[in-house]
Amino acid sequence: MIVLDRGRFGLVMLALLSLAGCAQETRITRVDSGVVTDLSGRWNDTDSRMVAESMVKEALEYPWLNDFASSKRRQPVVVVGTIQNSSHEHINVNTFVTDLERELTNSQKVTFVAGKGDREELRTERKEQATYAREDTQKAPGKEIGADYMMKGTIATILDEADGTKAVFYQVDLQMVDLESNAKVWYGQKKIKKVVEKKRSIF
Amino acid sequence: MSPIAPRPTALVSARWGFFISANFLFAVLALLLLAGCGSSVNRYQLIDASLRAYDPKGADAIVQRDEKEYGEKSLVLYGMDRGMTLQLAGEYQQSNAVLEQAEEELDRLYTRRIRTETLAFMTNDTALPYEGDPYEQVLINVLKALNYTMLGQWEDALVEARRIDHRLNVLSDRTNEKDAYREDGFARYLSGILYEITGDLNDAFIAYRNAYETFEATRAWSHTPVPTQLPEDLLRTAEALHFTQELAEYRQAFPGRKWETSQSLQHLAQVVVISYNGRAPRKEDQFLDLPISLNALQLVLLNRGIVQSNRPSNRGVDTVLYGLNGHVVRVALPRLVPQKTQVHVDTLRLIPDNGMPVTLNTELVHNVTALADKALAERLPGITTKALARAATKFAFAEAATRGAQQAAGHDAGPWVGLLVGLLTKGFAVASEEADKRSWQTLPDEIHLARVWVPPGRYQVQSSVGGFPDSPDSLMPEAMRTLSLGPGEAAVLVQRVMP
Repeated sequence: MIVLDRGRFGLVMLALLSLAGCAQETRITRVDSGVVTDLSGRWNDTDSRMVAESMVKEALEYPWLNDFASSKRRQPVVVVGTIQNSSHEHINVNTFVTDLERELTNSQKVTFVAGKGDREELRTERKEQATYAREDTQKAPGKEIGADYMMKGTIATILDEADGTKAVFYQVDLQMVDLESNAKVWYGQKKIKKVVEKKRSIF
Repeated sequence: MSPIAPRPTALVSARWGFFISANFLFAVLALLLLAGCGSSVNRYQLIDASLRAYDPKGADAIVQRDEKEYGEKSLVLYGMDRGMTLQLAGEYQQSNAVLEQAEEELDRLYTRRIRTETLAFMTNDTALPYEGDPYEQVLINVLKALNYTMLGQWEDALVEARRIDHRLNVLSDRTNEKDAYREDGFARYLSGILYEITGDLNDAFIAYRNAYETFEATRAWSHTPVPTQLPEDLLRTAEALHFTQELAEYRQAFPGRKWETSQSLQHLAQVVVISYNGRAPRKEDQFLDLPISLNALQLVLLNRGIVQSNRPSNRGVDTVLYGLNGHVVRVALPRLVPQKTQVHVDTLRLIPDNGMPVTLNTELVHNVTALADKALAERLPGITTKALARAATKFAFAEAATRGAQQAAGHDAGPWVGLLVGLLTKGFAVASEEADKRSWQTLPDEIHLARVWVPPGRYQVQSSVGGFPDSPDSLMPEAMRTLSLGPGEAAVLVQRVMP
């Protein structure tokens, strides 16, 4: 009987040793970019896209748009200002800004002008044209369209965590500000709440 | 009945017994090889030598070369070690990338793997994944914040400040003991500085206040007094926010203290110097040989009388000796070896294009050795209990294996087989015992800080160690040696001072 125990012990030892070196395999599946992929609980592409879509849609439903169009008889000109990241994550604000810009442009309800970073590049190009391009193709300075409204906002998080369970609360605030009067014509808010649960032990 | 049970004839079972012991020999050898990690000491000596020779890129190359040696159990440690060397080499983006990986791995390690824990219980704690002590985890975010400031990405530096806040909140929720490490004065102070630079005075004030309270509360064991500038920071931000009650309280707490108003500093530029001084403490094994019979006690005493130190060669002797005796269990516990720095003040000079040079003196804000000492003291009861339980289990296994082999070998060969198996298994129990000596060793012994407001302009940075202008310059990336600052702008400088 003792012999048998020793045999078992040896097997257990071997099993433990072999388990310790289990190989990890990588598998890749292609999914549609619309599929929600929540892997780590962090801010991801789905959040960025969903928030941009719904908030721009909401912003354009409010009366400021029609008020402006009826009084000035043209579409309002909008520029996207800074979106401040005051969250716990290194969110790529640029992709969110691009999402906003895309939604605004494609809505066809507003005229959308290039933001600060793009403008610099365009102005440099015009300056170079003034020196190097044929005269009849040169674009003159001072003909940019000034924006009527600026869209700006913040992404903030509130974090709560205990015993491996984490609640992440994202709050995205966007506002449309009249560049002439500083009046806020629209204020939008979108909240996302995620609960991330981690197991304490697995085999 | 198991299908592998041998037939009850003496000859066959004797063979069987030998067969198992040969298998055991391989298993033991494999485990011994796994448990060995002698090169880590060597590695840190090489890194130190590179840093002394003002070659941070060389130090980083050593860490990178050893990536495989760190192994999958020390992914976090690799990220920590490399994050520091990359920062010193001026590769801030890469430093952030490896530190981010370490942080993500840390997140995953919350879930413990039972099979890994079991393996560690059979051998030693070095088989467990390295998570680092809480103070080391906080320093991951501190280093990242500093990297972002040096890249000029202040918004991202603030993300790290918020993560520090969250990490410390979770830590203090988890730690019941009042006196334990649950807050971090330096991390809070640095967060406050970052918030103030970016114009968020309210968060800055809260961070300063937390820092002040932590420095006061942990003074007894952290050996770090409240930084001399912190009271002024508190007074300035409280005043700027019109917090009249807080301002009155702090005025009372720091009588006679003068401060520049937040408004008057707005037109100036700011320079923050972080100085990493010396080397973090290392850990070494401390063996306790516990005799469990009177004979064994004599053997231990006799052996200790002959050999004093715990050199590897002596450990080999112990392994055979105690394996033969069979009644000694060995427990290994980690022990901290401080490597204190000789530099108590670093002096930096900012030389403007025209005008008088500005002199900065750094002061201690973070005593890494004291924190490591505290962390080990907090964990030692747990480590000891586990080590004793492991020693008892190893002994029981060895005893069972010896008896089993003796029985199997039969009357004639029994004693010899028993002796052989006992030597192997009990020797293994002694030899495989090793304390977890891993720690973030590219950290400094102390972190110093200096902060000064200067008129906007161009400055040459000159650093001299220990206040002697003739001593060699400290380790500071080339790009940081000239500064060009506009009004309201800030620069963070990081340097490493080795002696």
